[in-house]
Amino acid sequence: MRFDLALVASRLPEIFHALGITLVVWIASLIASGIFGFFVAVGRRFGPRWLDYSLGAYVELFRGTPFLIQLFLLYFGGPYVGLSLNAIPAGILGLSIYGAAYFSEIFRTGFEAVPRGHVEAGECVGMNRPQIVLRILLPEMTMLVLPASVNMSIILLKETAVMSVITVPELTLTISAIGTEFYAFVESLFLLALFYWSLVEICGWLGRVGESRLSRYRFAQS
Amino acid sequence: MTFTLFGLLLEAAIYTVVISGISIVVGFVIGMGVAAARLSTHKWLAIPARVFVSFFRGVPLLVQLLLIYNLLPAIGVNVPSVVAAVVGLSLCTAAYQAENLRGGFASVPRGMLEAADMVGLSRFQQLVRIRAPIAFRLTLPALINEAILILKASSLVSVVGVVELTRMAQDLDTSLYKPLQLYSAAGLLYFVINRAVAAAGKYAERRMAWGRA
Amino acid sequence: MTEHAIVVRHLSKSFGQLEVLHNIDLEIEQGQATCVIGPSGSGKSTFLRCLAFLEEATAGTIEVYGKPLGFSQDSAGRRVRLNSASIRAVRSGIGMVFQQFNLWPHMTALGNVSEALKTVRGIPRAEAEERAMIQLRKIGLENRAGHYPAQLSGGQQQRVAIARALALEPRIMLFDEATASLDPELTGEVLNVMRTLATDGMTMVIVTHEIGFAASIGRKIAFLDKGRLLLAGSAQEVFGKPRNPRIDQFLDTYLDRGAAMLI
Repeated sequence: MRFDLALVASRLPEIFHALGITLVVWIASLIASGIFGFFVAVGRRFGPRWLDYSLGAYVELFRGTPFLIQLFLLYFGGPYVGLSLNAIPAGILGLSIYGAAYFSEIFRTGFEAVPRGHVEAGECVGMNRPQIVLRILLPEMTMLVLPASVNMSIILLKETAVMSVITVPELTLTISAIGTEFYAFVESLFLLALFYWSLVEICGWLGRVGESRLSRYRFAQS
Repeated sequence: MTFTLFGLLLEAAIYTVVISGISIVVGFVIGMGVAAARLSTHKWLAIPARVFVSFFRGVPLLVQLLLIYNLLPAIGVNVPSVVAAVVGLSLCTAAYQAENLRGGFASVPRGMLEAADMVGLSRFQQLVRIRAPIAFRLTLPALINEAILILKASSLVSVVGVVELTRMAQDLDTSLYKPLQLYSAAGLLYFVINRAVAAAGKYAERRMAWGRA
Repeated sequence: MTEHAIVVRHLSKSFGQLEVLHNIDLEIEQGQATCVIGPSGSGKSTFLRCLAFLEEATAGTIEVYGKPLGFSQDSAGRRVRLNSASIRAVRSGIGMVFQQFNLWPHMTALGNVSEALKTVRGIPRAEAEERAMIQLRKIGLENRAGHYPAQLSGGQQQRVAIARALALEPRIMLFDEATASLDPELTGEVLNVMRTLATDGMTMVIVTHEIGFAASIGRKIAFLDKGRLLLAGSAQEVFGKPRNPRIDQFLDTYLDRGAAMLI
């Protein structure tokens, strides 16, 4: 085993491009799944019974099956129903749908976790539904769902690696390809692991900072 | 979808369950060791344990699998790919289970241990008779959750050449060009297995409810 | 002359910078109930926990039937920490009842009461369970022996907790706000068990804010305020008029808590 830094250096631009792809795919999916997941949660919580059940089925299915299978269905099966996507859009769409299922549960729990008494207090002073959601539920929820959301974001970051299987040119595909080319599998994979590990640690740290910043809004009662 | 095709997938699904099951059990044992090391007062135990947990939770499972799959032959350990896969899965789940166990043990109410102190139970007796049963019960939901996660994660071992459910579907797709049917069927099988595990978990929780409604 | 069950000398306890108990001297008499009362934050629970060695005092000594608990004074007057074997030996004569009951949830009532007999005293299972049943019978819960704590009411759980402590035949029983977590209608059953224990001559140290109960059962009342022992004496001495103004102030907050019967 030898670790030739010169080799790595020569492919640095490629590696950074791959890092960029990873980050772009991740952030795009994060935003999409956050938004979509939120609306699913709202629809289930405040919408009619049939909406709750059908969205619930979607959530259960996409949380109960492997992400890889979902990607395969989308990327390889999609064209058969008229949905022909390139690797990157497929990756983003797949991760967004997957992530949204999880985020919807996080937000649903968040809705439940706001103490009923706070909502009742709002009702008693005459607020209507939208006002209660915007002025009470949402602000209080944000603090409550923050840890779980940070966790989920990190999970989604790690899941971007799975996209390498459908040829999305992100970090895993790129670095392991370089490794194959230079016959340095293990070194390149260690490098890859280090990349992700650092990214995850950074995100975790940012999350903790965010949580402590917001902790002054913590409840006096639980 | 013909009967034989589904039969093939079913067989592969059983293989998935076996691989996952072994990984969960091995991971649990390793996880207990890591949790104990993590809680130890000896720095030379606690710090490597922390690094272990941080690494195996911070690196994507796919990368871990690829790494171990390539690392083992490189250091002279030549094992079938399924063994490498199980090693990878076990180490990954061990890290998560270690954290779950740590949380479970920390959640044992202090008062129960004080009561044990007062009636004279030794540290070791407390660990075995009071802390372990209560911690296990507290950890159970997380354990079931982890089992389900491993079942889903096992789909990634297809990438290192293990012919479990996902790989079987892939292989069949290569010759038959029926991705929608194959992957939907595979997905369904995963879903059903996960539901079964969740139900088993609920049953276990009820058995250990100790009189709670 | 009644023997001192516990002798406390110059007991102080600080949590970091915060001093919770200051220089307490108290004798707990054998065969009597001593009630420790005082406002919230006065340190009475901490004091009791020091007697149980669940908290370690930062200064002072505790002697149980002449044997030092946890710390002793060497010839130069310095505090010396004793080993855990000696602590366990002294503690084995003391039983404790907690405010939160602290019954082990994965064992039945019988299991809870017999556990220490089996595990600590090494008594074979059948005999341990027999002894446990006797204790359960004494508190009237023999037909709940197979129930788990989650299936018992608060009052029942606390009574089982008392039985669990009594099963080891302690010489001293400590009660840390034993009824504070109970709904009002359930306190009676626990107080009755405690009353019977006292009448039977058990040495008890009771931290409580049931003033009426304390006055009726306690041969000695110790009043703690802000970590200091303000007053210790018989119910008459502590509550009788003319009253210490601080006690007056304290009782005022309890006017409809049974203190009315003292006035």
